[in-house]
Amino acid sequence: MAARGTGAAALRRSLSPWLFLAPALVLFGAFKFLPMWRAVTMSVHQVRPYLGDRWVGGDNYHQVLTDDAFLGAIGRTLLLAVGQTGGSILLGLALALLLEGTARHLWIVRTAVFLPTVTAMAVVAEVWRILYYPAADGAVNTLLGYVGVGPSQFLNSPDSALWSVMGVGIWRGAPYDMMIFVAALAGIDRTLYEAAAVDGAGVLRRLGHVTLPALRPAFTILLTLAALRGLRVFTEIYLLTNGGPSGSTEVLMTLVYKLGLERGELGVASAGSMVLLAASVLLTLALRLRRDRTGKAAP
Amino acid sequence: MPTRTARTFAVLLACATALTGLAGCSGSGDQSADDKAQLEIWVRKPPGSNTEKTHQQLAERFTAQTGIPTHVTALFDDFETKLQQAAAQKKLPDLIVNDTAQLGTMLKQGLLRSVDRKSLQGGDQLIPATWDAAKGPDGAYYGVPFSAQSFALFIRKDWRERLGLPQPTSWDQLDALATAFTTGDPDGNGKNDTYGYVVPGTTKRGYLDWYYSSFLWSGGADYFTGTPGKLKPAVDSPAALATAQWLKKQFCTDKSVVPGAVTAETTQAHPMFETGKGGIYLTGPYNMARFDKSLGKDKYEVVPLPAGPGGQAAVLAEGENTYLMAGSHNPKGQQKYAEYLISAEGQTLGMAGDTDGNVVRLPVNKQVDLAKVRTDQRWQVFDQAFRQAGRYTPVVPEWTPFRQASADALNGLVADCGSDPKAVLGKLAGTFAEELKKQGAGS
Repeated sequence: MAARGTGAAALRRSLSPWLFLAPALVLFGAFKFLPMWRAVTMSVHQVRPYLGDRWVGGDNYHQVLTDDAFLGAIGRTLLLAVGQTGGSILLGLALALLLEGTARHLWIVRTAVFLPTVTAMAVVAEVWRILYYPAADGAVNTLLGYVGVGPSQFLNSPDSALWSVMGVGIWRGAPYDMMIFVAALAGIDRTLYEAAAVDGAGVLRRLGHVTLPALRPAFTILLTLAALRGLRVFTEIYLLTNGGPSGSTEVLMTLVYKLGLERGELGVASAGSMVLLAASVLLTLALRLRRDRTGKAAP
Repeated sequence: MPTRTARTFAVLLACATALTGLAGCSGSGDQSADDKAQLEIWVRKPPGSNTEKTHQQLAERFTAQTGIPTHVTALFDDFETKLQQAAAQKKLPDLIVNDTAQLGTMLKQGLLRSVDRKSLQGGDQLIPATWDAAKGPDGAYYGVPFSAQSFALFIRKDWRERLGLPQPTSWDQLDALATAFTTGDPDGNGKNDTYGYVVPGTTKRGYLDWYYSSFLWSGGADYFTGTPGKLKPAVDSPAALATAQWLKKQFCTDKSVVPGAVTAETTQAHPMFETGKGGIYLTGPYNMARFDKSLGKDKYEVVPLPAGPGGQAAVLAEGENTYLMAGSHNPKGQQKYAEYLISAEGQTLGMAGDTDGNVVRLPVNKQVDLAKVRTDQRWQVFDQAFRQAGRYTPVVPEWTPFRQASADALNGLVADCGSDPKAVLGKLAGTFAEELKKQGAGS
């Protein structure tokens, strides 16, 4: 089909980008947006595939936002997100500062340190269940025994379970953060360090006034990624404790999973997911807004 | 160019129609029936296992006799999840063989066809109690019993004999044995690394309640009082309280339970028994094949659960039903297959002798004599326990929420030794009352 006249040419010009986008749009539409839309509709229905869904309006949302189990889960999700994000960033930064450089032995150590991040979560969970074995002859408890502490119940006591899960999350997340920091550290102009040293700045002042400000973009991206990852935490909890003992590690995703796929309450579960989606979107927007503002404030 | 755009739009439109098709729902199968349509059968068995092979044999025999083609799919992990996905796509299998406890959940979602017990060939040959596990809260039947099982104590015989203790016949003796296993170094390695009870105490799938129910009933307590449809929670009765306190004592006072029990599911509990961490395990006959191989047949014994102080011995009975799923193209074939599975031939084939390929644990057909098919005497313990002391979970529209709530409460009780059993059970009774009301089964 040849285009005839200016109108047709303009139409063709405006259509062609959409045509190039079409394959991706179709795939996204079919596998992302339509299922998401389906989740939105399910969240306002009592879902019964073979009997017909029943419209319940905001009841599912009301249940999610007033139910003690959901509120507790939201609180723990936030605590876990903050703890894992903060812990991973601090540990990741410390590792990055220790292991920065181009020497061969550093490269080997960095690879070894990175292993937890690439290991399958199911394997990590099983390994940590063994490490956390809650008797005096457990691996971690043996170490604690040397310094005269413990034995701790770790995953098996409501007091320590959430912290133990957080520990696994940090252990697994820190190396990833480290890699981002290592890349960012490599981009810092060496002459800045030299100039600071000439001006008489010690190690700590160089860290505070040169390194950390230069790492600001890395912090932003890590905070965004880690906060979202933290909110969606599921696999490690499901495999380590499944929300127990005594509900002390129940987070939003495990609760949604239990309701939706174990008890068949797909409507309430969808509403829970929507709340999580809203929280994720808000958090991303807030972080973006902050970045824009700090970006403008910076010279 | 426009043709390609048109095609893109057509694809988009097709996707949209497919998805709206999911949302709009009609009633159950009015599809044109075809008596020779292939039957798709899902079984909850590990893929590649000998149990899957037994199900395939059953299906092959059925096809040879009736000419109706069949296809067996074995699924184990996430069976329910995959079923939900199939339901959402309205492409359910024709038949599934799955836990009796799943009836309520599937019924509520309209996934099941009802079964006419009287017109089912061979239905009168079944042990009457097994029909209880196929009954819906409206009194109609929504499945056909296929296999039954009960539970018994697996006890480390070598440990018990080394310590010179008798087989337990009361709860006190059971506790004494558990304490001795914990403190008496029964494996003689000089280390304090053994325990009494192996408990799958996680809340996942309600495991802790699943384990505990036999004890609850044996202690003379129950989940509810009243008749189906007019139930009242009884989980805070004095007998229930005493039994819960007894469970808590094992965890908190005697400390005779293996470490990590409160987050362990069965896959993590089995190794505790196999590797010599714990010596007393209430579990089902399906573990005998596994433990014979990993631990050795001579190392352990199978003993019926003794009665508690307030009652008579009772053990959880469960099993599998054949469910006739909604929307099948071959309803007559569905019924014929269910009939074949309960026939003497189907049951005997399913029992698979003494091998680990058994899919019928205890036969539901009265005509089938267990002792003739299996020589292993330990099966008799389970068969007797089932016939004399077996109890199915209460008939409510949906048992899962109760099981989950009970497991959550008990898990909190034993994980937190500072908890107050009376308060925990009182709260559980409140949850039960609420759930009964929600399901329309309370008084």
